[in-house]
Amino acid sequence: LCFFSSCSSWLPQRVALRGSSHWQNSLLELRTSLPVRAQPKKKKKVDVKKEQAQKDRMKKKIKKLEKAAPELIPIEDFVTPLKYSESSRVRSLPALSPEESERRVLLLKKWCLFKQKQDEAEKKAIKALVESQQEALKELRLESEELYQAAIRRDEGLFPFERDGPSYTPPLPGYDPPEGKCIDITKVYTQ
Amino acid sequence: DALLGCHRFYRSRPTHGIGKFKYLLPKEVPKRRKEKVQMKEIDAGTEYQYGDVNIQMTSYDLCLVEHFAQYVHRLCNRLSIQVNESYAMPTKTNEVLFLEERGSKMQLDAVLTTHQRVVQIRGLSSTFAPILLEIIQSNQPEGVHLLVKQHTEADFKSRLKSRPELEELLAQMS
Repeated sequence: LCFFSSCSSWLPQRVALRGSSHWQNSLLELRTSLPVRAQPKKKKKVDVKKEQAQKDRMKKKIKKLEKAAPELIPIEDFVTPLKYSESSRVRSLPALSPEESERRVLLLKKWCLFKQKQDEAEKKAIKALVESQQEALKELRLESEELYQAAIRRDEGLFPFERDGPSYTPPLPGYDPPEGKCIDITKVYTQ
Repeated sequence: DALLGCHRFYRSRPTHGIGKFKYLLPKEVPKRRKEKVQMKEIDAGTEYQYGDVNIQMTSYDLCLVEHFAQYVHRLCNRLSIQVNESYAMPTKTNEVLFLEERGSKMQLDAVLTTHQRVVQIRGLSSTFAPILLEIIQSNQPEGVHLLVKQHTEADFKSRLKSRPELEELLAQMS
């Protein structure tokens, strides 16, 4: 009883607020405004079915896409551009004199010999390195077994190993490069 | 009647092999099925051996990097190190623009192509690894950037084409 009296006391003040909000159909309290019972349940059932059907469709699509094997990106280096295979691009070289061809052959032979000596020296150096390493490890084993075991283990800090190649000229001191930017225009392949 | 109606050809008879014709046709090469691109198992290696190691060579000069990759491959063959694969990564193209001295417009300077070759080796012993690195370093040509690292699944996936639809659907599912 007292509850109802209190309701009626604050109702006129709250009515104005309720009437302004568009979520409220009537000027009465919340529990008497909308029919709360039947509709939301129906909505739930239909939603569940729809969601299930959607999920099944997506799973089917995923299965179909996953069936196709992944492809490697084609490498542009191995495809000669068509403009280089035109028949008009043919060079006509001048005829060589016999002295010139003789000189060239002798030069080639000298170069072959030089490269062979270089290669043999490299192989010898590698052999010497490996032999000295094995000898050192043998001596270490005789010294102490656990140090030898620790030396044999692989080095985790070795990889990744990065090194820039040597440059023809050192960098110019006090060189002021112009401002600019780099845009990546690589072709993106999608499956 | 049973004897006359018999259709079997004996090897001694002149009618042997009558009706055969496939031996007259040209030999057909069996059609090779397209091999599916599958990731090979990555070897982790033991305590005394490194597993799959990638030697990646990058440069702007195509011929130089190709020849260096061939040299490294032959070197590994000579030193009896097992080479799993030797492949090329897709080329990257960059447009270099620079700002003119007087003016605010960016001018096209050059179009640079970056080429990368990878030699994958397996079973490198821990004692020989520094020697191999030393050899490769001493023969490294100018302008070629060397990177030696362990092989991972991410490295393999970077060679494959991207599938945006599949990724989208998978993102929606989860």
